Amino acid sequence: METINNYTGNILIADLASGECETEELSQELVEKALGGAAINMELYEQYKDRDPLILGTGFFTATFFPCSCLAVLTGKSPVTGAIGHVPLTWQVGVELKLSGFDFVVLLGASDKPVRLWLHDGLSDINESQDVWGKDVWESVDKIREAYGDDMIQTLLIGKAGKNKVPLAQVSENYWGSKDSFGFGAVFGAKNLKAIAMRGLGALEVAEGFFQKCIELKNEILNGAIKGKSGLKDFIAPLGIDMSIKAKIESATHRLNACYNCPYPCYTFFKYREAPNVMAQTGVADPGCLTSGLAGLTRFYMLGIDAPQAMEKCFKVGVQPAAAAQILEKKGIKDLAGAEAAIEALASDPVKPEGSTWPIAVNLPPAASIFSSAVPPKPVFSPVSAFGAQDAGQFWVRRQALAYTIGMCPICALLTPEVSTEKIVELVRMSAEWDDFSVDKLNSILDNLIAKSSG
Amino acid sequence: MDLKVEPLKCTGCRICEFACNFHYDESISPIGSSLMFYREEKKNYYGLMLKREKTLLLGRPEGERILKPGEQIEGASASSKPILLRVACDRCAEEEDGPLCVRACPFGVLSME
Repeated sequence: METINNYTGNILIADLASGECETEELSQELVEKALGGAAINMELYEQYKDRDPLILGTGFFTATFFPCSCLAVLTGKSPVTGAIGHVPLTWQVGVELKLSGFDFVVLLGASDKPVRLWLHDGLSDINESQDVWGKDVWESVDKIREAYGDDMIQTLLIGKAGKNKVPLAQVSENYWGSKDSFGFGAVFGAKNLKAIAMRGLGALEVAEGFFQKCIELKNEILNGAIKGKSGLKDFIAPLGIDMSIKAKIESATHRLNACYNCPYPCYTFFKYREAPNVMAQTGVADPGCLTSGLAGLTRFYMLGIDAPQAMEKCFKVGVQPAAAAQILEKKGIKDLAGAEAAIEALASDPVKPEGSTWPIAVNLPPAASIFSSAVPPKPVFSPVSAFGAQDAGQFWVRRQALAYTIGMCPICALLTPEVSTEKIVELVRMSAEWDDFSVDKLNSILDNLIAKSSG
Repeated sequence: MDLKVEPLKCTGCRICEFACNFHYDESISPIGSSLMFYREEKKNYYGLMLKREKTLLLGRPEGERILKPGEQIEGASASSKPILLRVACDRCAEEEDGPLCVRACPFGVLSME
Protein backbone atom coordinates (compact mmCIF):
# COMPACT_ATOMS: atom_id res chain seq x y z
CA MET A 1 0.00 0.00 0.00
CA GLU A 2 1.43 3.36 -1.04
CA THR A 3 -1.22 5.77 0.18
CA ILE A 4 -4.49 5.91 2.14
CA ASN A 5 -6.95 7.71 -0.11
CA ASN A 6 -10.57 7.59 1.12
CA TYR A 7 -9.64 8.18 4.78
CA THR A 8 -8.90 11.36 6.73
CA GLY A 9 -6.27 9.48 8.75
CA ASN A 10 -7.70 10.29 12.18
CA ILE A 11 -9.02 8.15 15.04
CA LEU A 12 -10.70 10.05 17.86
CA ILE A 13 -10.35 8.66 21.37
CA ALA A 14 -13.14 10.22 23.44
CA ASP A 15 -12.82 9.46 27.15
CA LEU A 16 -16.28 10.20 28.51
CA ALA A 17 -15.17 9.63 32.10
CA SER A 18 -12.57 12.39 31.99
CA GLY A 19 -14.22 14.51 29.32
CA GLU A 20 -10.96 14.51 27.32
CA CYS A 21 -10.52 13.82 23.60
CA GLU A 22 -7.34 12.79 21.82
CA THR A 23 -6.64 12.16 18.16
CA GLU A 24 -4.51 9.26 16.98
CA GLU A 25 -3.28 8.50 13.51
CA LEU A 26 -5.06 5.82 11.48
CA SER A 27 -2.02 3.80 10.61
CA GLN A 28 -1.33 2.17 7.29
CA GLU A 29 -0.68 -1.06 9.20
CA LEU A 30 -4.20 -1.06 10.65
CA VAL A 31 -5.79 -0.46 7.22
CA GLU A 32 -3.63 -3.21 5.72
CA LYS A 33 -4.69 -5.55 8.51
CA ALA A 34 -8.44 -4.87 8.58
CA LEU A 35 -9.31 -2.48 5.71
CA GLY A 36 -12.08 -0.54 7.46
CA GLY A 37 -15.58 -0.42 8.93
CA ALA A 38 -16.57 -3.21 11.28
CA ALA A 39 -13.23 -4.99 10.80
CA ILE A 40 -11.19 -2.00 12.08
CA ASN A 41 -13.89 -1.33 14.70
CA MET A 42 -13.27 -4.85 16.00
CA GLU A 43 -9.51 -4.27 16.18
CA LEU A 44 -10.10 -1.05 18.14
CA TYR A 45 -12.65 -2.78 20.39
CA GLU A 46 -10.07 -5.41 21.32
CA GLN A 47 -7.39 -2.77 21.87
CA TYR A 48 -9.59 -0.91 24.37
CA LYS A 49 -11.71 -3.81 25.68
CA ASP A 50 -10.83 -3.12 29.32
CA ARG A 51 -12.21 0.43 29.14
CA ASP A 52 -15.88 -0.18 28.29
CA PRO A 53 -15.50 0.73 24.58
CA LEU A 54 -18.11 1.55 21.98
CA ILE A 55 -16.64 2.11 18.52
CA LEU A 56 -18.06 4.21 15.69
CA GLY A 57 -16.30 3.79 12.38
CA THR A 58 -16.48 4.33 8.65
CA GLY A 59 -15.73 1.87 5.89
CA PHE A 60 -12.95 1.99 3.32
CA PHE A 61 -15.30 3.43 0.67
CA THR A 62 -17.63 5.39 2.97
CA ALA A 63 -18.28 8.93 1.67
CA THR A 64 -16.63 8.25 -1.70
CA PHE A 65 -17.93 7.83 -5.25
CA PHE A 66 -18.29 4.06 -4.72
CA PRO A 67 -22.03 3.37 -5.13
CA CYS A 68 -24.06 2.92 -1.92
CA SER A 69 -21.12 4.13 0.17
CA CYS A 70 -23.17 5.68 2.97
CA LEU A 71 -22.23 3.34 5.77
CA ALA A 72 -20.89 3.91 9.26
CA VAL A 73 -20.82 1.08 11.81
CA LEU A 74 -21.32 1.10 15.58
CA THR A 75 -19.62 -1.79 17.36
CA GLY A 76 -19.85 -2.88 20.96
CA LYS A 77 -21.16 -5.43 23.43
CA SER A 78 -24.91 -5.74 23.03
CA PRO A 79 -27.19 -5.74 26.07
CA VAL A 80 -29.61 -7.81 23.97
CA THR A 81 -27.33 -10.65 22.86
CA GLY A 82 -24.59 -10.30 25.50
CA ALA A 83 -22.10 -10.54 22.64
CA ILE A 84 -20.53 -8.30 19.99
CA GLY A 85 -22.93 -6.53 17.66
CA HIS A 86 -22.34 -4.29 14.66
CA VAL A 87 -25.00 -1.72 13.81
CA PRO A 88 -25.13 -0.40 10.24
CA LEU A 89 -25.76 3.35 10.20
CA THR A 90 -27.07 4.56 6.86
CA TRP A 91 -28.70 7.79 5.56
CA GLN A 92 -26.05 10.59 5.82
CA VAL A 93 -24.27 9.48 9.01
CA GLY A 94 -21.18 7.93 7.39
CA VAL A 95 -20.44 10.83 5.09
CA GLU A 96 -20.91 13.44 7.81
CA LEU A 97 -18.73 11.48 10.25
CA LYS A 98 -15.83 10.94 7.87
CA LEU A 99 -15.89 14.46 6.48
CA SER A 100 -16.06 15.89 10.00
CA GLY A 101 -12.44 14.76 10.12
CA PHE A 102 -12.63 11.40 11.90
CA ASP A 103 -12.63 7.94 10.33
CA PHE A 104 -13.14 6.19 13.66
CA VAL A 105 -14.33 7.24 17.11
CA VAL A 106 -13.54 5.24 20.24
CA LEU A 107 -15.94 6.06 23.07
CA LEU A 108 -14.52 5.02 26.43
CA GLY A 109 -16.05 4.86 29.90
CA ALA A 110 -19.05 6.80 31.13
CA SER A 111 -19.65 10.44 31.91
CA ASP A 112 -20.95 11.42 35.35
CA LYS A 113 -23.44 13.82 33.72
CA PRO A 114 -25.37 13.89 30.42
CA VAL A 115 -23.12 14.90 27.52
CA ARG A 116 -23.00 14.92 23.74
CA LEU A 117 -20.05 14.65 21.38
CA TRP A 118 -19.80 17.33 18.67
CA LEU A 119 -17.58 16.56 15.67
CA HIS A 120 -16.80 19.12 12.99
CA ASP A 121 -13.86 20.54 11.03
CA GLY A 122 -11.44 18.05 12.55
CA LEU A 123 -12.44 19.22 16.03
CA SER A 124 -14.18 17.34 18.82
CA ASP A 125 -15.96 18.62 21.88
CA ILE A 126 -17.70 16.80 24.71
CA ASN A 127 -20.48 19.22 25.68
CA GLU A 128 -22.99 19.09 28.50
CA SER A 129 -26.37 17.85 27.31
CA GLN A 130 -28.66 18.31 30.27
CA ASP A 131 -30.83 20.58 28.05
CA VAL A 132 -32.07 17.61 25.99
CA TRP A 133 -31.53 14.69 28.37
CA GLY A 134 -35.22 14.31 29.17
CA LYS A 135 -36.46 15.26 25.69
CA ASP A 136 -37.82 12.91 23.08
CA VAL A 137 -35.74 12.14 19.99
CA TRP A 138 -37.49 14.59 17.67
CA GLU A 139 -37.27 17.53 20.01
CA SER A 140 -33.66 16.67 20.81
CA VAL A 141 -32.61 16.68 17.13
CA ASP A 142 -34.23 20.09 16.66
CA LYS A 143 -32.53 21.53 19.74
CA ILE A 144 -29.09 20.10 18.92
CA ARG A 145 -29.23 21.47 15.36
CA GLU A 146 -30.36 24.82 16.71
CA ALA A 147 -27.55 24.84 19.27
CA TYR A 148 -24.86 24.21 16.65
CA GLY A 149 -26.52 26.33 13.97
CA ASP A 150 -26.88 24.00 11.00
CA ASP A 151 -29.88 21.98 9.77
CA MET A 152 -27.63 19.55 7.90
CA ILE A 153 -25.96 18.28 11.09
CA GLN A 154 -26.43 14.53 11.44
CA THR A 155 -27.10 13.10 14.86
CA LEU A 156 -26.92 9.72 16.55
CA LEU A 157 -28.96 10.00 19.71
CA ILE A 158 -31.25 8.40 22.25
CA GLY A 159 -34.68 9.12 23.66
CA LYS A 160 -36.46 8.06 26.81
CA ALA A 161 -35.76 4.34 26.25
CA GLY A 162 -32.02 4.93 26.02
CA LYS A 163 -32.06 7.16 29.06
CA ASN A 164 -33.82 4.33 30.93
CA LYS A 165 -31.25 1.81 29.60
CA VAL A 166 -33.85 -0.70 28.40
CA PRO A 167 -32.82 -3.45 25.91
CA LEU A 168 -35.31 -2.26 23.28
CA ALA A 169 -33.59 1.14 23.16
CA GLN A 170 -32.16 2.18 19.82
CA VAL A 171 -29.53 4.67 18.83
CA SER A 172 -31.49 6.82 16.38
CA GLU A 173 -30.23 8.42 13.16
CA ASN A 174 -31.77 11.90 13.43
CA TYR A 175 -35.56 11.56 13.83
CA TRP A 176 -35.97 8.19 12.15
CA GLY A 177 -34.72 5.34 14.30
CA SER A 178 -32.07 3.04 12.87
CA LYS A 179 -31.15 -0.56 12.14
CA ASP A 180 -29.92 -0.94 15.73
CA SER A 181 -31.28 -4.29 16.85
CA PHE A 182 -28.66 -4.61 19.61
CA GLY A 183 -29.95 -2.17 22.22
CA PHE A 184 -27.06 0.26 21.84
CA GLY A 185 -29.45 2.99 22.91
CA ALA A 186 -29.10 1.49 26.40
CA VAL A 187 -25.30 1.61 26.04
CA PHE A 188 -25.48 5.32 25.19
CA GLY A 189 -27.72 5.74 28.23
CA ALA A 190 -25.28 3.90 30.49
CA LYS A 191 -22.51 6.17 29.25
CA ASN A 192 -24.68 9.27 29.90
CA LEU A 193 -24.16 9.99 26.20
CA LYS A 194 -27.22 11.69 24.74
CA ALA A 195 -25.92 12.22 21.23
CA ILE A 196 -23.13 12.38 18.72
CA ALA A 197 -23.57 15.32 16.36
CA MET A 198 -21.57 15.50 13.14
CA ARG A 199 -21.04 17.98 10.33
CA GLY A 200 -18.79 17.01 7.45
CA LEU A 201 -17.31 19.81 5.41
CA GLY A 202 -13.82 18.34 5.04
CA ALA A 203 -12.28 16.66 2.01
CA LEU A 204 -10.87 13.28 0.96
CA GLU A 205 -8.22 12.59 -1.66
CA VAL A 206 -9.32 10.56 -4.67
CA ALA A 207 -7.19 8.20 -6.73
CA GLU A 208 -6.85 8.91 -10.44
CA GLY A 209 -9.49 7.03 -12.44
CA PHE A 210 -11.59 6.19 -9.37
CA PHE A 211 -14.46 8.55 -10.24
CA GLN A 212 -14.94 7.10 -13.73
CA LYS A 213 -14.74 3.48 -12.51
CA CYS A 214 -17.41 4.23 -9.88
CA ILE A 215 -19.69 5.88 -12.45
CA GLU A 216 -19.39 2.78 -14.64
CA LEU A 217 -20.27 0.54 -11.69
CA LYS A 218 -23.23 2.78 -10.77
CA ASN A 219 -24.53 2.51 -14.34
CA GLU A 220 -24.15 -1.27 -14.25
CA ILE A 221 -26.19 -1.35 -11.04
CA LEU A 222 -28.91 0.86 -12.54
CA ASN A 223 -29.21 -1.49 -15.51
CA GLY A 224 -29.03 -4.62 -13.37
CA ALA A 225 -31.22 -6.32 -10.77
CA ILE A 226 -32.79 -3.09 -9.45
CA LYS A 227 -33.86 -1.76 -12.85
CA GLY A 228 -37.47 -0.55 -12.79
CA LYS A 229 -37.79 -0.95 -9.02
CA SER A 230 -37.79 1.51 -6.13
CA GLY A 231 -38.82 1.88 -2.53
CA LEU A 232 -39.80 -0.62 0.15
CA LYS A 233 -42.96 -1.48 -1.79
CA ASP A 234 -40.93 -3.46 -4.33
CA PHE A 235 -39.39 -5.59 -1.55
CA ILE A 236 -42.79 -7.00 -0.57
CA ALA A 237 -43.33 -9.67 -3.23
CA PRO A 238 -39.71 -10.92 -3.48
CA LEU A 239 -39.45 -11.29 0.31
CA GLY A 240 -42.74 -13.18 0.50
CA ILE A 241 -44.53 -10.59 2.64
CA ASP A 242 -48.33 -10.32 2.53
CA MET A 243 -49.13 -8.40 -0.68
CA SER A 244 -51.83 -6.30 1.02
CA ILE A 245 -48.97 -4.41 2.70
CA LYS A 246 -47.76 -3.12 -0.67
CA ALA A 247 -50.99 -1.23 -1.35
CA LYS A 248 -50.95 0.26 2.15
CA ILE A 249 -47.40 1.53 1.64
CA GLU A 250 -48.17 2.94 -1.81
CA SER A 251 -51.26 4.80 -0.66
CA ALA A 252 -49.41 6.69 2.09
CA THR A 253 -46.08 7.35 0.35
CA HIS A 254 -45.02 10.95 -0.16
CA ARG A 255 -41.51 10.72 -1.72
CA LEU A 256 -38.74 8.19 -1.66
CA ASN A 257 -35.34 9.07 -0.25
CA ALA A 258 -31.91 7.61 -0.88
CA CYS A 259 -28.94 7.48 1.44
CA TYR A 260 -25.70 9.15 0.38
CA ASN A 261 -24.73 8.14 -3.17
CA CYS A 262 -27.31 5.37 -3.37
CA PRO A 263 -28.94 4.32 -6.66
CA TYR A 264 -31.82 2.55 -4.87
CA PRO A 265 -34.08 4.80 -2.77
CA CYS A 266 -35.54 2.46 -0.15
CA TYR A 267 -36.26 5.10 2.50
CA THR A 268 -39.96 5.92 2.24
CA PHE A 269 -41.60 9.04 3.65
CA PHE A 270 -45.19 8.52 4.77
CA LYS A 271 -47.56 11.46 5.14
CA TYR A 272 -50.58 11.15 7.42
CA ARG A 273 -51.14 14.68 8.77
CA GLU A 274 -51.62 16.00 5.26
CA ALA A 275 -52.28 14.37 1.88
CA PRO A 276 -49.35 12.21 0.71
CA ASN A 277 -49.33 13.92 -2.70
CA VAL A 278 -48.68 17.41 -1.28
CA MET A 279 -45.19 18.36 -2.51
CA ALA A 280 -45.22 22.09 -1.77
CA GLN A 281 -44.10 23.47 1.57
CA THR A 282 -47.03 23.86 3.93
CA GLY A 283 -47.56 24.93 7.50
CA VAL A 284 -47.86 21.37 8.79
CA ALA A 285 -44.82 21.03 11.05
CA ASP A 286 -44.65 17.24 11.36
CA PRO A 287 -46.56 15.79 8.39
CA GLY A 288 -45.26 12.24 8.66
CA CYS A 289 -42.24 10.03 9.09
CA LEU A 290 -39.40 8.45 7.15
CA THR A 291 -38.35 4.82 7.41
CA SER A 292 -36.64 1.89 5.73
CA GLY A 293 -37.80 -0.43 8.52
CA LEU A 294 -39.91 -2.85 6.56
CA ALA A 295 -40.18 -5.49 9.31
CA GLY A 296 -41.67 -2.99 11.76
CA LEU A 297 -43.99 -1.44 9.20
CA THR A 298 -45.28 -4.84 8.16
CA ARG A 299 -45.86 -6.03 11.70
CA PHE A 300 -47.76 -2.87 12.68
CA TYR A 301 -49.88 -3.09 9.52
CA MET A 302 -50.65 -6.73 10.31
CA LEU A 303 -52.02 -5.63 13.70
CA GLY A 304 -54.46 -3.38 11.83
CA ILE A 305 -52.69 -0.25 13.09
CA ASP A 306 -51.70 2.76 10.97
CA ALA A 307 -48.10 1.61 10.83
CA PRO A 308 -46.28 4.88 10.04
CA GLN A 309 -47.90 6.60 13.04
CA ALA A 310 -46.88 3.73 15.31
CA MET A 311 -43.36 3.96 13.86
CA GLU A 312 -43.30 7.67 14.70
CA LYS A 313 -44.10 6.89 18.33
CA CYS A 314 -41.29 4.31 18.43
CA PHE A 315 -38.86 6.83 16.90
CA LYS A 316 -39.77 9.53 19.41
CA VAL A 317 -39.21 7.39 22.51
CA GLY A 318 -36.31 5.55 20.85
CA VAL A 319 -37.35 1.89 20.78
CA GLN A 320 -36.92 -0.71 18.03
CA PRO A 321 -40.16 -0.63 16.00
CA ALA A 322 -40.13 -4.23 14.79
CA ALA A 323 -39.46 -5.63 18.27
CA ALA A 324 -42.08 -3.31 19.75
CA ALA A 325 -44.66 -4.47 17.20
CA GLN A 326 -43.86 -8.09 18.04
CA ILE A 327 -44.51 -7.38 21.73
CA LEU A 328 -47.74 -5.50 20.96
CA GLU A 329 -48.95 -8.48 18.95
CA LYS A 330 -48.52 -10.71 22.02
CA LYS A 331 -50.42 -8.17 24.11
CA GLY A 332 -53.27 -8.25 21.58
CA ILE A 333 -53.18 -4.50 20.94
CA LYS A 334 -54.97 -3.56 17.72
CA ASP A 335 -55.62 0.18 17.83
CA LEU A 336 -53.33 3.18 17.44
CA ALA A 337 -54.10 4.83 20.79
CA GLY A 338 -53.45 1.57 22.61
CA ALA A 339 -50.29 1.02 20.58
CA GLU A 340 -48.93 4.48 21.37
CA ALA A 341 -49.56 4.00 25.08
CA ALA A 342 -47.92 0.57 25.01
CA ILE A 343 -44.91 1.90 23.09
CA GLU A 344 -44.52 4.69 25.65
CA ALA A 345 -44.54 2.04 28.38
CA LEU A 346 -41.92 -0.04 26.53
CA ALA A 347 -39.49 2.85 26.93
CA SER A 348 -39.37 1.95 30.63
CA ASP A 349 -39.76 -1.83 30.28
CA PRO A 350 -36.76 -4.21 30.66
CA VAL A 351 -38.31 -6.68 28.19
CA LYS A 352 -35.92 -8.00 25.51
CA PRO A 353 -36.69 -8.61 21.81
CA GLU A 354 -37.18 -12.28 20.98
CA GLY A 355 -35.51 -13.80 17.94
CA SER A 356 -36.11 -12.56 14.41
CA THR A 357 -38.49 -9.66 14.03
CA TRP A 358 -39.25 -10.45 10.37
CA PRO A 359 -42.79 -11.70 9.68
CA ILE A 360 -41.32 -14.29 7.29
CA ALA A 361 -39.23 -17.42 7.80
CA VAL A 362 -35.57 -16.61 8.52
CA ASN A 363 -32.92 -19.29 8.14
CA LEU A 364 -29.56 -17.80 8.98
CA PRO A 365 -26.55 -19.39 10.72
CA PRO A 366 -25.55 -18.37 14.29
CA ALA A 367 -22.82 -16.04 12.98
CA ALA A 368 -25.56 -13.82 11.53
CA SER A 369 -26.31 -12.63 15.07
CA ILE A 370 -23.34 -10.22 14.95
CA PHE A 371 -25.09 -8.18 12.24
CA SER A 372 -28.34 -6.21 12.30
CA SER A 373 -31.54 -8.21 12.01
CA ALA A 374 -33.25 -5.15 10.48
CA VAL A 375 -31.64 -5.96 7.12
CA PRO A 376 -33.65 -8.32 4.86
CA PRO A 377 -32.61 -11.92 5.58
CA LYS A 378 -31.94 -12.78 1.95
CA PRO A 379 -31.15 -11.13 -1.42
CA VAL A 380 -34.22 -9.26 -2.61
CA PHE A 381 -34.26 -9.26 -6.42
CA SER A 382 -31.79 -12.02 -7.30
CA PRO A 383 -31.05 -15.60 -6.22
CA VAL A 384 -27.83 -16.14 -4.26
CA SER A 385 -26.46 -17.85 -7.36
CA ALA A 386 -26.42 -14.45 -9.09
CA PHE A 387 -23.80 -13.47 -6.51
CA GLY A 388 -21.77 -16.62 -7.24
CA ALA A 389 -22.86 -18.28 -3.98
CA GLN A 390 -24.72 -21.46 -3.11
CA ASP A 391 -25.46 -21.54 0.60
CA ALA A 392 -27.97 -18.74 1.27
CA GLY A 393 -27.20 -18.43 4.99
CA GLN A 394 -23.42 -18.38 4.63
CA PHE A 395 -23.77 -15.97 1.72
CA TRP A 396 -25.81 -13.53 3.83
CA VAL A 397 -23.23 -13.49 6.62
CA ARG A 398 -20.28 -12.93 4.27
CA ARG A 399 -22.09 -10.33 2.20
CA GLN A 400 -22.95 -8.40 5.36
CA ALA A 401 -19.35 -8.70 6.61
CA LEU A 402 -18.19 -7.32 3.26
CA ALA A 403 -20.65 -4.40 3.27
CA TYR A 404 -19.91 -3.48 6.90
CA THR A 405 -16.17 -3.48 6.14
CA ILE A 406 -16.04 -1.52 2.90
CA GLY A 407 -18.76 0.95 3.97
CA MET A 408 -21.52 -0.14 1.61
CA CYS A 409 -25.17 -0.13 2.67
CA PRO A 410 -25.93 -3.72 3.76
CA ILE A 411 -29.38 -3.60 2.16
CA CYS A 412 -27.95 -2.45 -1.16
CA ALA A 413 -25.34 -5.18 -0.91
CA LEU A 414 -28.25 -7.64 -1.13
CA LEU A 415 -29.74 -5.85 -4.17
CA THR A 416 -26.65 -5.58 -6.33
CA PRO A 417 -24.97 -8.73 -7.67
CA GLU A 418 -23.19 -6.34 -10.06
CA VAL A 419 -20.94 -5.33 -7.14
CA SER A 420 -18.68 -8.36 -7.24
CA THR A 421 -15.79 -9.15 -4.94
CA GLU A 422 -13.43 -8.78 -7.90
CA LYS A 423 -14.64 -5.25 -8.64
CA ILE A 424 -14.29 -4.29 -5.00
CA VAL A 425 -10.72 -5.60 -4.96
CA GLU A 426 -9.93 -3.64 -8.13
CA LEU A 427 -11.23 -0.41 -6.58
CA VAL A 428 -9.38 -0.97 -3.29
CA ARG A 429 -6.15 -1.53 -5.24
CA MET A 430 -6.75 1.64 -7.22
CA SER A 431 -7.65 3.72 -4.17
CA ALA A 432 -4.69 2.77 -2.05
CA GLU A 433 -2.09 1.94 -4.72
CA TRP A 434 -2.17 -1.45 -3.00
CA ASP A 435 -1.02 -3.77 -5.77
CA ASP A 436 -0.95 -6.98 -3.76
CA PHE A 437 -4.45 -6.59 -2.33
CA SER A 438 -6.39 -9.64 -3.50
CA VAL A 439 -9.63 -11.57 -3.16
CA ASP A 440 -7.81 -13.89 -0.75
CA LYS A 441 -6.69 -10.95 1.39
CA LEU A 442 -10.21 -9.55 1.46
CA ASN A 443 -11.64 -12.94 2.41
CA SER A 444 -9.08 -13.26 5.19
CA ILE A 445 -10.16 -9.87 6.60
CA LEU A 446 -13.82 -10.94 6.52
CA ASP A 447 -12.98 -14.31 8.15
CA ASN A 448 -11.21 -12.48 10.96
CA LEU A 449 -14.10 -10.08 11.46
CA ILE A 450 -16.63 -12.89 11.71
CA ALA A 451 -14.42 -15.05 13.97
CA LYS A 452 -13.46 -12.24 16.35
CA SER A 453 -17.01 -10.89 16.56
CA SER A 454 -18.44 -14.33 17.20
CA GLY A 455 -16.06 -14.76 20.11
CA MET B 1 -26.69 24.90 -23.15
CA ASP B 2 -27.29 25.09 -19.43
CA LEU B 3 -28.09 22.75 -16.57
CA LYS B 4 -31.72 21.84 -16.01
CA VAL B 5 -33.07 20.44 -12.72
CA GLU B 6 -36.12 18.20 -12.35
CA PRO B 7 -36.56 18.40 -8.56
CA LEU B 8 -39.16 15.71 -8.08
CA LYS B 9 -36.83 13.11 -9.56
CA CYS B 10 -34.34 13.88 -6.77
CA THR B 11 -34.00 11.39 -3.90
CA GLY B 12 -31.56 13.45 -1.85
CA CYS B 13 -28.50 11.22 -2.30
CA ARG B 14 -26.29 14.34 -2.65
CA ILE B 15 -23.77 12.77 -5.04
CA CYS B 16 -24.21 15.69 -7.44
CA GLU B 17 -22.70 18.06 -4.86
CA PHE B 18 -19.67 15.85 -4.46
CA ALA B 19 -19.24 15.26 -8.20
CA CYS B 20 -19.31 19.01 -8.80
CA ASN B 21 -16.69 19.63 -6.13
CA PHE B 22 -14.54 16.88 -7.68
CA HIS B 23 -14.65 18.74 -11.00
CA TYR B 24 -13.09 21.79 -9.38
CA ASP B 25 -10.46 20.34 -7.04
CA GLU B 26 -10.41 16.56 -7.53
CA SER B 27 -11.31 15.86 -3.91
CA ILE B 28 -14.43 14.43 -2.25
CA SER B 29 -16.20 17.22 -0.39
CA PRO B 30 -19.41 19.23 -0.58
CA ILE B 31 -17.78 22.56 0.25
CA GLY B 32 -16.53 23.78 -3.12
CA SER B 33 -19.51 22.75 -5.22
CA SER B 34 -21.66 25.05 -7.38
CA LEU B 35 -24.56 22.82 -6.37
CA MET B 36 -25.99 22.81 -2.88
CA PHE B 37 -28.53 20.34 -1.53
CA TYR B 38 -30.96 21.61 1.09
CA ARG B 39 -33.49 19.78 3.19
CA GLU B 40 -36.23 20.43 5.72
CA GLU B 41 -36.01 16.94 7.05
CA LYS B 42 -39.18 16.56 9.11
CA LYS B 43 -41.25 17.82 6.18
CA ASN B 44 -39.40 15.69 3.62
CA TYR B 45 -38.99 18.93 1.68
CA TYR B 46 -35.76 19.03 -0.24
CA GLY B 47 -34.11 20.20 -3.41
CA LEU B 48 -31.06 21.73 -5.06
CA MET B 49 -29.62 25.15 -5.58
CA LEU B 50 -27.20 25.89 -8.42
CA LYS B 51 -24.94 28.94 -8.44
CA ARG B 52 -24.79 30.44 -11.93
CA GLU B 53 -22.81 33.46 -13.14
CA LYS B 54 -25.60 35.98 -12.53
CA THR B 55 -28.43 34.00 -11.01
CA LEU B 56 -29.31 31.13 -8.72
CA LEU B 57 -31.28 28.19 -10.06
CA LEU B 58 -33.51 26.90 -7.29
CA GLY B 59 -34.83 23.37 -7.84
CA ARG B 60 -37.70 23.08 -5.34
CA PRO B 61 -40.38 20.39 -5.17
CA GLU B 62 -42.76 22.99 -6.58
CA GLY B 63 -40.55 23.32 -9.65
CA GLU B 64 -37.62 25.36 -10.97
CA ARG B 65 -37.20 28.99 -10.05
CA ILE B 66 -34.56 31.52 -11.10
CA LEU B 67 -33.43 33.97 -8.44
CA LYS B 68 -31.56 37.20 -9.03
CA PRO B 69 -29.03 38.62 -6.55
CA GLY B 70 -30.78 40.08 -3.53
CA GLU B 71 -33.93 38.03 -3.86
CA GLN B 72 -34.81 36.10 -0.75
CA ILE B 73 -34.68 32.32 -0.96
CA GLU B 74 -37.83 30.87 0.50
CA GLY B 75 -38.02 27.37 1.81
CA ALA B 76 -34.28 26.81 2.00
CA SER B 77 -32.85 26.13 5.42
CA ALA B 78 -29.87 27.91 6.87
CA SER B 79 -26.60 26.14 6.38
CA SER B 80 -22.91 26.74 6.92
CA LYS B 81 -22.40 26.46 3.15
CA PRO B 82 -23.70 29.78 1.80
CA ILE B 83 -24.44 29.34 -1.88
CA LEU B 84 -23.65 32.92 -2.84
CA LEU B 85 -20.00 32.43 -1.92
CA ARG B 86 -19.66 29.43 -4.21
CA VAL B 87 -17.99 29.36 -7.60
CA ALA B 88 -20.48 29.67 -10.47
CA CYS B 89 -21.22 26.55 -12.50
CA ASP B 90 -18.95 26.33 -15.56
CA ARG B 91 -21.00 23.43 -16.98
CA CYS B 92 -17.82 21.33 -16.87
CA ALA B 93 -16.98 22.84 -20.24
CA GLU B 94 -13.73 20.95 -20.68
CA GLU B 95 -15.15 17.55 -19.70
CA GLU B 96 -15.53 15.42 -22.84
CA ASP B 97 -18.37 13.33 -21.44
CA GLY B 98 -20.36 16.23 -20.04
CA PRO B 99 -20.95 17.65 -16.56
CA LEU B 100 -19.90 15.35 -13.73
CA CYS B 101 -23.10 16.01 -11.77
CA VAL B 102 -25.19 14.79 -14.71
CA ARG B 103 -23.04 11.67 -15.01
CA ALA B 104 -23.11 10.94 -11.28
CA CYS B 105 -26.84 11.40 -10.64
CA PRO B 106 -28.58 7.99 -10.67
CA PHE B 107 -32.03 9.45 -11.28
CA GLY B 108 -31.72 11.87 -14.19
CA VAL B 109 -32.44 14.90 -12.02
CA LEU B 110 -29.85 16.98 -13.84
CA SER B 111 -29.53 17.37 -17.60
CA MET B 112 -28.23 19.84 -20.19
CA GLU B 113 -30.67 21.77 -22.29
